Amino acid sequence: MPGLPLAASGLRLAFAGEGIIDLPELTLAPGTLTALAGPSGSGKSTLLYLLSGLLRPDAGSVTWAGQDLARLGESQRDRWRRRHAGFIFQNFHLIEELSPLDNVLVPVWFDHVSATAARPRAIALLDQLEVPQRRAHVALLSRGEQQRVAIARALIGDPAVIFADEPTASLDAAAGQTVIAVLRDLALDQGRTVLVATHDAALRAQAGTTVLLEHGRTRHSEASA
Amino acid sequence: MNPFPIAWASLRRNRFTAILFIAIVALTVALGIAISAQERALRLGSARAADKFDLIVAAPGSHNDVLFSTVYLDPSAVPLLDPAITRLLLEDDQADFVAPIGFGDAIGDAPVVGTTAAFVEHLSGGLAEGRVFTALDEAVVGALSPHAVGDQLEVSHGHGGATGTDADAAADAIAAGAAVPGGDGDHPTITITGRMQPTGTPWDRAVVVPIEYNWSAHGLGTGHRPGDSHIGPPFDPDSLPGLPAVVVKPVDVSAAYGLRGAYRTPQSTAFFPAEVLVELYALLGDATAIMSALTLAAQALVVAAILAGIVAILDLQRQQFAVLRALGASRGFVFATVWVYVAALIVTGAIAGLLLGWGFAAIVSELLANQTGVAMRAEIGSSEFRLVGALVALGLVLASLPAVLIYRRPVVDGLR
Repeated sequence: MPGLPLAASGLRLAFAGEGIIDLPELTLAPGTLTALAGPSGSGKSTLLYLLSGLLRPDAGSVTWAGQDLARLGESQRDRWRRRHAGFIFQNFHLIEELSPLDNVLVPVWFDHVSATAARPRAIALLDQLEVPQRRAHVALLSRGEQQRVAIARALIGDPAVIFADEPTASLDAAAGQTVIAVLRDLALDQGRTVLVATHDAALRAQAGTTVLLEHGRTRHSEASA
Repeated sequence: MNPFPIAWASLRRNRFTAILFIAIVALTVALGIAISAQERALRLGSARAADKFDLIVAAPGSHNDVLFSTVYLDPSAVPLLDPAITRLLLEDDQADFVAPIGFGDAIGDAPVVGTTAAFVEHLSGGLAEGRVFTALDEAVVGALSPHAVGDQLEVSHGHGGATGTDADAAADAIAAGAAVPGGDGDHPTITITGRMQPTGTPWDRAVVVPIEYNWSAHGLGTGHRPGDSHIGPPFDPDSLPGLPAVVVKPVDVSAAYGLRGAYRTPQSTAFFPAEVLVELYALLGDATAIMSALTLAAQALVVAAILAGIVAILDLQRQQFAVLRALGASRGFVFATVWVYVAALIVTGAIAGLLLGWGFAAIVSELLANQTGVAMRAEIGSSEFRLVGALVALGLVLASLPAVLIYRRPVVDGLR
């Protein structure tokens, strides 16, 4: 469902000993790349988990198409992620025993016995992202290629929202640049809502908006570009 | 949903642990299967072997000893039956035939057993080859005997090495009846005239001679008047020697019970082999039940230990499951993946154990059959399938424990 904003309002979450998330207002518009910045422990990942429905806030709402994720049950939030969200991690979290293609197909197996129908799309995604050796084990790929497999996996369900947690932090500069270009393309050219928690200045430079967090609170939000 | 590719990937990730787990389950199952299958093979084999020995009459004493001597040709020192009883039996119209059984000689390792042609026919159900003996120095061999029809064989006193316990004592018991001098050593050469069909009993390896040979070789006369050289009944009532056992084939079932009652006297005992076997099986069954219970307990412990190991292994993979959840997998999917993982280990181990146990039992049965001559075939029957089924069912239920433990973990903890 591209074209819908993901909006958070009055979001609060206290997490044991580590601080508190207190976010009065945040709207992520479709077709934008938003960077979530801030020092370690400032709550970037926690906010990402709140907005993706992995965590439930103590108060506030996360609205998508008139639905408040904060009020949905666990299985409904799972389903929401399955249908509308893609997740990219710092360390890729691929299944090493599976081929790149099968890794991309993993989310398909959540709902379907057979992934055959999704294979052409998975192959096309790997081609677009220039991942070689479709049949090889993912462990044989370079780190940059592995992250692109993870991006293809996030895109297999054609999600409207992409969450990325430090997607370039364990890549060298060149591989990082490729990933940044892909993320930018997902937002600006494909109209997805992309939210990236990152330390990477190069990635922030490409973000339309940077939200700077400090102790779980928005220090400032700036529109670059 | 399709949890199999991810479960399979997890199995491959820890393939050595998986193989180890499967091997442990397989060996535990195999032990239970082997005990159960072997016990049944022993029971069926020994029961089948005793099938043709309708009613055994012997001197009072241990039924077990008489049974083992007569049916399984594993001689022990049994007292001899008073000829007066044999005389009564021979005249009893409730008996279809009365077959004296005598031991005491051997050819190499093979026991030489004396009886009547009628009993040979009865036991073997007709000969496979040749004809039954008609003269004192003729003999038939069991189906597994290495000797051929037409062979001439020297008989020696005493029991063959193969026939186990207390052979000398048994031979002595027979020899004790040999008051006539020159008993030992007077063993004419015999000629093989026929071969029996397989009986599944130790008789398959024996050389069977007319009872008259047995008697005369031990200086006990022939059971006939001097000068009477015919073989088999009728015997001369006054010339009958003592016997370790007599096999009686009653004319019908009521006659069987009648004879059994009539010959339980102070001078004799009469019993159906089955009744002795039932007692032995009860003992065997008790032992097996205890062993089965122990192996079942061991199996349950093995399953529990393996589940603990699996939880530890899956704990190392908790990040993977958290990632799956972040990608939108339901708790049900994670549950199914872990459950399939555990179930695959247990089911594979159980099937391997079933085959392995059957293999064990087959080998043990073969060894036992070789040693005892009682034909035994280890088979996997419904009780073995039930045993494995119970373990698998237990495993599949218990497999949901790690599955629940994993799927209840907060996703975010695994992602950090």
